[in-house]
Formats: sequence, C-alpha cells, structure tokens
Amino acid sequence: MSGDGSKLLTKALARLKRSVWVFHLNTGSCNGCDIEVLDALTPYFDVERFGIKLVGSPRHADVFLMTGPITRETLPKVLRAIESMPRPRLILALGSCACGGGIWWDTYSTIGGYGRLKEILKERGIVVDRVAYVPGCPVRPEAIIYGVLVLLGVVEQKVKHEEVKAGG
Amino acid sequence: MKLLSIAARAKVVTRRYPFEPPVITEGFRGKIEVDPKLCWGCGVCTRICPPNALTLKEREDGTLVLSYFMGRCIFCGMCAEVCPRGAITVTKEFELASLTAEDLVRDVKHDVVRCRICGRVVGPAVEVREATKGVGGEEAKYYDLCPECRKLVVARGIMTKVGVRP
Amino acid sequence: MGERSRYLPECPEMGEVVRKLTEEYGGRVIFSRGTEVYVEVPRHALRDVAKYLYSSGAFLKTCAAVDERPLNSSFAVYHIFGMDSRGYDVVVKVSAPENDAWVPSIVDVVPAADWCELEARDMIGIELRGRKLVRRLVLPEDWPEDLHPLRKEVPHDFRPPSVKAGSEFRPAERGIPIGPYHPVLHEPEYFELLVEGETVVDVYYRGFHVHRGIEKLGESPRFTYQKIPFLAERICGICGFVHSTCAIMAMEKAAGIKPPERAEYIRTIVLELERIHSHLLWVGVAAHVLGYDAGFMHTWRVREPVMILSELITGSRKTYGLNLVGGVRRDVDKDKVGKIMKTLDRVEREFKELANLLTSVPQIRKRAQGTGVLTRSEARALSVVGPVARASGLYRDVRKDYPYLAYKEVSFKVPLYTEGDNLARVLVRVEEVFESISIIRQLLDKLPGGPVMHEKCSAVIPVDELIPPGKYAVAAVEAPRGEDVHFLMTGEGRPYRWRVRAPTYQNIPALRPMLRGDPLADAPLTIASIDPCFSCTDRALVIDVRTGRARTIKLWGGGVDACRL
Repeated sequence: MSGDGSKLLTKALARLKRSVWVFHLNTGSCNGCDIEVLDALTPYFDVERFGIKLVGSPRHADVFLMTGPITRETLPKVLRAIESMPRPRLILALGSCACGGGIWWDTYSTIGGYGRLKEILKERGIVVDRVAYVPGCPVRPEAIIYGVLVLLGVVEQKVKHEEVKAGG
Repeated sequence: MKLLSIAARAKVVTRRYPFEPPVITEGFRGKIEVDPKLCWGCGVCTRICPPNALTLKEREDGTLVLSYFMGRCIFCGMCAEVCPRGAITVTKEFELASLTAEDLVRDVKHDVVRCRICGRVVGPAVEVREATKGVGGEEAKYYDLCPECRKLVVARGIMTKVGVRP
Repeated sequence: MGERSRYLPECPEMGEVVRKLTEEYGGRVIFSRGTEVYVEVPRHALRDVAKYLYSSGAFLKTCAAVDERPLNSSFAVYHIFGMDSRGYDVVVKVSAPENDAWVPSIVDVVPAADWCELEARDMIGIELRGRKLVRRLVLPEDWPEDLHPLRKEVPHDFRPPSVKAGSEFRPAERGIPIGPYHPVLHEPEYFELLVEGETVVDVYYRGFHVHRGIEKLGESPRFTYQKIPFLAERICGICGFVHSTCAIMAMEKAAGIKPPERAEYIRTIVLELERIHSHLLWVGVAAHVLGYDAGFMHTWRVREPVMILSELITGSRKTYGLNLVGGVRRDVDKDKVGKIMKTLDRVEREFKELANLLTSVPQIRKRAQGTGVLTRSEARALSVVGPVARASGLYRDVRKDYPYLAYKEVSFKVPLYTEGDNLARVLVRVEEVFESISIIRQLLDKLPGGPVMHEKCSAVIPVDELIPPGKYAVAAVEAPRGEDVHFLMTGEGRPYRWRVRAPTYQNIPALRPMLRGDPLADAPLTIASIDPCFSCTDRALVIDVRTGRARTIKLWGGGVDACRL
C-alpha cells in the first residue's frame, strides 16, 4: 500500500466508524451466507443501529460484503464491480467459499475464493485497500458484525497464526 | 393500524451484540482445536474433511505438518468424530475474522521417522512411538524401516536362517 | 389420497407399462427395485416412448447424461418419468455408441425436457438430434467449445484458459427478431424481458452463474460417499437439508440400507422445519418486492426462532451437517422436543396474525391477483413442481405421491389452488407453513425410540464397503420449492454419476408463459413468486423490441440463484 493509500484509509476508517454503506456481492454462493447477511438487517440483529446500510450500487459502497467462491462465470462481473468502487476499497470476504474457495475450492468452474481473486486483482492493477476474512459456513449474523468491526479496526482480531510441535 | 399492534406486542427482540452476548445453543459447532499432545499425525481427519481444510503436508525441512485452514472449514465437526485419539475438539468460537489469510492457519508440526535404508517417510514420530510402545524384542528392530525395506530385511533374515544365499 | 382431483389420465400399472415398453417398443428391463423400473429402449423408439408415457399421465422429472464409455463404449441418457398418481418411476435409458454420439431430442413431445437436454449437450457433448434451438446453457460463457466436463477423461479441477465468447444468438420467438447479442454492449443480466411499451412479450433467462461443478466433484477422486451429504447440503443454503437427505436416500436405496425409524422421523421433522423457515423467508421477500418493507422485517422476526431452533437440534443455523449414510448424527432428547413444541406454538401464533394481515392488505391483493398466470396445461407441459404446480391446479407433492421417510405416518393437507396467479402461489405457501407445523407436532407425538444410526454405519466406518458399485437409484424429496430429484449410479467408493435436479430448475422455464402479456410492473412479483431460491436476480434487462432500446430495472437487491447448479 502506498503512502497516499494508507493516509486515505486511516481517514476513511475514522469516518466509517459512524456510518458504513455496504454493497452485497454474491459471486456464486449457495445463498446460505447471503440470507445471514440479510438476517443481520432484521430486528434480531439490526445492524442499522451501527449505521450499517445496504446500498444498491458499488459506486456508493464503502464496504463490499462478498459471498461465494467466485465462479468462472461471475468473475468478470466481480472485477467490474470492485473496479467501480471508489477508493478506499474495503472488502469483507464472508464464509468458507469467499475465504478459501469453499468445499469446491478446486473445481473447473470456480476460481478458489478471495485468495485467487487477490492475485487477479494484482495482475490488473486494481487496488483493494483492506480485506477481512470471516470464516463460517454459513457465517452467523454475529460473525458478520464482528467481521465488520475487525475490518474497520474497531476491534482487534482474536485469531493468530500458530505453529505448535506435536508430542510432549 | 394492525401492524402497529403486532409490532407493539412483539416488543424489542434485538440482541445488542456485541454489547450483549450472542444466542449460542449448546451444540453449536464453531472452530476446531487440535491438541498437539494427542495428535498422531495419522491423517484420518484429512481424509474425512470435505473441503480439505485439514491437510497433512511434508515440508522441506523434513517435518510433517497437520495444517488447519479455518478459512475453508465448513464446521461440520466430522474430523472430531473420526480422530482415533480424540485429539480434536469442536469449540463454540465463531469470532474468527482476520485481516490476513495466514492468521487463519494453525499448524501441528510432526517430526517424522524415516526409513534407515531408503529414507522414505515411515510415519510421524509420535505415531510410530506410541503405536509401538511396550512392544519390544524381535519386532522392535523393524520400526524404522518402510514396508518395502522391511520386507527385504525379513526375507534376507529367513534366507540366512535356512542357509540360502540372498 | 382421496382428496386428489383426477384431471389427468390415471397412470397405468407398472406391469402394463413395462409390457408395452418391452413388447411394442423393443425395450429391455435392465434393473428394477420396488417403485423404480429401468428400461433400455433403442434410440429410434425414444420419442414414441416419451409420447406414450407423457400421455399416460407421466411427468418428466429430469434426464441425466452419463459417460459410460469405460463401461460399454457408449454414452447414455436416462430419462426419468414419474408416474405420480401411481407412485412409481420409469427410467428410460437410451445409448449412443461413442463414434455416433447422438440421441433424439424429445423436447417437442415433452417441453419439460428442454433444459436437461441442453445440459446433457454441454456436459457430455452428446448431440440432441431433431432440436431446432440449441445453445449453451450451463457452462460459463468463456468455456471452450469442445470441452465437456462430465466426460471421464476431464479432471474435475481442470481450468482451461478463457475463450472469447462468440456473438450469441437469442432464440427468436413468435417471429420477433432479436438478433445477435454482443456481450460488450451491456451487462449480462439474469433476466432479459422483451417488451412492447410496458407489456412483456418474451423472457430470456441466462443463469447458471452459480455453476460450481458439484456433480463432477461428487465423482472426483477426492470425494467419497461419506462426504457427499456435506457437498449436497451446500447446493442450496436455504433448502440444503433437502438435498442432503435426497442424496442420502439415493445412496441408502442403492445399498439396501434402511435407517432406523427414529432417524427417519428426525429427518422428516428437520425437513418440515426447513420448509417453515424457507416459506417465512419467502413471504418476507415477497413483501419487500411489493415495497412492504415492514412486512419483510416482521416476517423475518417471526422466522428467527426457527433458525435458533435448527441450531439447537443440528449444531448449525443452516447447512446442518445432520445426515450420514445410515441415519443422523444427533438425537433429539426430551428437552429439545419441548423446545421444538414451544417454538412452533410461538411461530404459529405470530405468523397467523401476520399472514392474515399481509394477505388482506388491498394493495397486495390487487397486485397479486390475476397476475403472472400459469394455466394448468402450461404447467403440465413443463412439469412444474411445488407450490407453482399446486397453485395452477396440478396436485403434485412427493410427500403424497411417493411417500418417503415418516410422511406415511402423519396426516396432512396439501393446499391446492387453480387460479395459477401470484396470489394463489402466496396462499399455497402460507397454508403450507401451518400444515408443516401440524406435521411436526404429530411426529413428535409418536416419535419412536431406538437408535438414530444403522448398526453397520457410523462416521468412522467407511460406507464405501456398504455401497456396491454398479447400482441405480432415484430419490425425490419435496423441497419448499418443489420436487428435488437425485439420480445415482454407484461407482467404487464414490458415485459414478450423480445428477441433481433442483426444483427451481424445473420452474424457471414456466416464467415465460407467466410473464408474457403482463405489464412490466408486475414482473418483479411474478419472478419472485416461483421462489427462485431467494431472488435470483438483482436487476433485469428490459429491451423494447419496437425501439431496440434497453434499460435495467431493479427486482431485488443482490443475490444469485443457487438451486440450479
């Protein structure tokens, strides 16, 4: 991330703590995560109390909520949508499919989740300023809320890479 | 209006997570944890894992690593059911969001036993040690041999005994 | 069964059908089991056989193309005809030698065969002879022409480089010239509505953005029978348990494994819980489409306890992971039974109020009544399923026609309407919620004791040894959206061929007659009324055939249909 980018990001993150406009992008998911995203809007979870609002166009979005493994067919649409997002671009990769390609991570018809998309974005020079991965299958609404908070830097993530020796 | 009366009766159902605890039921499956003290590196969990979130890979430094990639986990809990050592527990953790994919990885590193003749991997050190614990005598001298080399050594031993030149 | 109306000819007995197929059409019975009979007929007889069966009251469930070259140097297509009124399936097989790979198309005799034939062509590369309109249906636009993924030599993970899509021809309908479509000109939307002014004259659907290669994955080396239910469950995140149960039923049928009674009851209970959650979800979506967001919020509020209950019983809010070959992984104890009853009482009470309100609001009634009409004959020709069929006077319900699991043990009504309009489809689903609640109560009341897993099966035992290769099975389950069909040919340790035909796949073609002639303003509700697995569209492209001008309209916000692989 260039110097300019990180300043932009810090400013945006500060503003976003008060109101976040999210765009829901389904890249070929089974809809499990998608209905949990919608569920987060409904009275039991009510993310609107955080100022999170669903918008209808990537051009107005602060954050992309991305579900699905990114199928071959949706890839061009996904790239176009991310490109039309104004900087800074923040993406929340939701669920097993988006984070790691899902149960079908290696099939002929999917690309393998955000890991692969990251490479493609780099090849095309499309910059994404910040990404957070939210595991789950499907992701609970609470996990989505937690994911947004981690993405925006409101809370520290809990997980960390670990390598332990067996035995002992 | 009618809807208002319905709304009034429903009251407020919002659980103000994260300020209030989430509604998690007793059997909820969150992330798994592999106990390194119990793990044998046998790989049965990797064979049942539908998305291959659990993998057993050989590293350049010669170790065998059981790697758990939370990102791809589908939280089915089958690994915990099949582990012969009960080394895997299913927790209720779901707050797993991470800013990097690397932080979603947990590795259990195993030293391996290599065949003293051909160098191929016989198995994870823990597995070989535990499986052969308490068995001594004649058998013990074959534990650091791979199956092919073991066959050769045993065959040579028999031939020597009966007086045939190998 | 007594309350069914007989408007179609009563299907002949299985023996008579088999006799006719073997004696008159040169067929040969290759396999039979209980309510399934598999007959191979010579290619030239297929159209006549299809005509005979369809006019005898059969519905087409689907057709599955199989690469049998490793077995007998030929390609095969299996057409699954459901003789609903008698509760048995006739699977008609035709073969084509590998150097002469064509089968006759039956789409003019059985319009319901349209999509499955195109899919056969895409995935196996077999020629459908006699069809006028042939186009790519399932594979991505940039997929190379002569690469057919379900052929045995193509690895499941082979990802060829992108091939530029040629200019695609739009099928012309009733002489309306559409002309070639250039992808660079506009966004490929899922639905393209062709209008004259404000009236819809035709619909073009381009879907399968969600094609993930599931059928191929099930056959691949990294999969085994034990993993299939987890894969099946994720075909659709709303009716996943239906797919997992149907796949398991097919495997259990093929292996001759009967799960314990208690497991069957639990599966039935969870299936009905899924129906409730799905219909409540849909009612909310329909309310939103009509601009009634408060209705959406309240319906999803009423639905939430069902999600929490599902997690209590299975361990996950969705993608339950409950099914294994031979039974279920978790039991339902007394405490859980109590919680189920309490939740159902609450949902029933709250939804009754809400449903009465929503269906009596004059704006909603006016917009839903008389719009999106699907006549009974149109529904019959397309073999539509589920609430869409039952709203158009077709009394089709797998739970009644081919009783499975514990449905024989309970009594329930299947709502039937004949108007075939959007309102009818709303009312069918609303009533089904209450019937499902009643079914679950009856099941809990008479829940038998015993184990929940067959003694020979468990998570640890590799079921591969229990499921022999070379067996056939067809299983069907009534999903919230309609009949879900799984066709299975067993192989060594994993399926040789696993075909899934989800309900929405069967219903989307019905949108054409439903939308034609209607005002454009009614299109969003009509499209939502077939319950396309939670809005398969965010927008639709509207092209005026008189001026050639195109614009997009909003249908719903974000979402891709999953139930069509």
